[in-house]
Amino acid sequence: MTIVSVALKYLRGRLPASSLTAVAVALGVSLIMSTFLMTQGIRDAFILGTTDYNLIVGAKGSAAQLVLNVIFRIDLPPPNISYTLYTQLQADARVDVAVPVMLGDAFNGFRYVATSPEYFRPHPWRRKTFTPAAGKLLHDEPPDQPTFEAVLGAEAAARTGLTLGDRFYQGEEMAEYPLSVVGILRPTYGPDDRSIFLSLASFWEMNEIPRSMAVKPLTAVLVRPQRLSDLPSLHRELNVGAESQAVLPSSVLLSIFNLLGLAEEVLKIVLAVVALVVFLYLFVSMYHAALERKREIATMRALGARRATVLLIVLLESCLITVIGGVMGSIGGYGLAYLGARIIAQRGGLVLDPMRFTVLQPVLLAVVVLLGTLAGLIPAILAYRTEVAENLAPLS
Amino acid sequence: MRLLRGSVLSSLALALALSGAASSGEDVPRLMFAQLVDAIRANLELTQTIKAFDGKEVEIQGFIIPVGLPDLTFFLLSRVSALGNYCCEAPVGQDETVYVFAAKAPHLVYDPLKVYKVRGVFEAGLKTDPVQGISLYRLRQAWVEEAVGAKIMKTEEAGSPPPHK
Repeated sequence: MTIVSVALKYLRGRLPASSLTAVAVALGVSLIMSTFLMTQGIRDAFILGTTDYNLIVGAKGSAAQLVLNVIFRIDLPPPNISYTLYTQLQADARVDVAVPVMLGDAFNGFRYVATSPEYFRPHPWRRKTFTPAAGKLLHDEPPDQPTFEAVLGAEAAARTGLTLGDRFYQGEEMAEYPLSVVGILRPTYGPDDRSIFLSLASFWEMNEIPRSMAVKPLTAVLVRPQRLSDLPSLHRELNVGAESQAVLPSSVLLSIFNLLGLAEEVLKIVLAVVALVVFLYLFVSMYHAALERKREIATMRALGARRATVLLIVLLESCLITVIGGVMGSIGGYGLAYLGARIIAQRGGLVLDPMRFTVLQPVLLAVVVLLGTLAGLIPAILAYRTEVAENLAPLS
Repeated sequence: MRLLRGSVLSSLALALALSGAASSGEDVPRLMFAQLVDAIRANLELTQTIKAFDGKEVEIQGFIIPVGLPDLTFFLLSRVSALGNYCCEAPVGQDETVYVFAAKAPHLVYDPLKVYKVRGVFEAGLKTDPVQGISLYRLRQAWVEEAVGAKIMKTEEAGSPPPHK
């Protein structure tokens, strides 16, 4: 009989206790792993999903609302700015590209984003590329001849089930102006996947208030400057004026990360306590097992087993429990993170990909196994020290 | 001849001043934004003094303007804070802006009103990059940390304030 088979026999001998201990380890590991995956996933979703434009110009109000709505399509749209602000920015010598954006309604929760074809145009400084998986992209449309054509993001198309040529609208007042699907985009792995794009002309004509306005409204203008070093002066000018605010999207996201960081600190403390509780539970379980088995161990020793062998068997048993628990916990952690990501996505929030494998996962697993083995150390020493004569004495 | 000697002396003095700035036992020289501005000549040509730092590791302290991705792998370093500091200073242009390319995404709690210490390989001269556009000063392979330890002086140590002009 090898040491491993004895350790396995020990495990099977106290199957209920061993499996409960493994489950406790698994729960602890999955909690820690899913938390890491989710927090990293949220951060990455913001970094991956953010705009390529350096400045967002909108109405005065919350900078976070402007970025979350215009870029991530999460919050409610801020108040409108006038179209003239866009033409002014376009004429500004410091501005390279300006893109008008208008947000408002939605179809089945997928936001309408009214914009110009410029939104999809590639530039050397853009990470994102927009290509149609079917149909075409938006094209220039004269303001008085709206076509009511819509281009759907990949996820918006998949989840609404709309295909090329379909006509759709939401709400009674929109029945007069159904949109027809003329294009479906390839996935961009960002908020654009959950959006429905249409021309500004269509959007203005569909809605009662802008239809009657002489100067049309916009939600925001996305700006790429000629020189990045001109951003501070543009930013200041647009902010000191009474009408508008300008926001560096990364600045807003960094302050969101700072808040997330605080929550992560608290989570880390909670997780450390969880890890400690699991560690203690494993220790107590192994300690009890060692006490229960004093007679068995004494018998083994009497039959010629060495002290070191007994020590190894107990350490191995504890190690096996944590390996089983750790592997189960890793799988469970990915499962939990997947569920969490689904919940966040369904609430109309971020699309995050927590199914990533980093160096963290094997390191966490190794640390858990090491700690688990360590928890078995004192019980193992107890077994090591078992005196044959004392423990083989008749029980009665 | 006297003119030549004068210019040699003045550049020596500048060099001394620069090495003085990098005092307190640190071997990386610190460049001030004032030096960057002073180095600019007609048509955005730069002086030899500032070009001497090209390719060398330097330290610059300033405010972070996050114009790139929010992981801060690329950002602008400026003499004045561009965000929220409407009270006090007018924004600056490319002469007082350094384009910083971090060696790896820095771990820091970003604060637009805090001064950060950035060390990296200095690059001087106009350059056009397809992604970051035109820039005058750059720091590559940069490391960022909070600039703590601005010397706090007791009133008697600080001496009498300079007279108002």
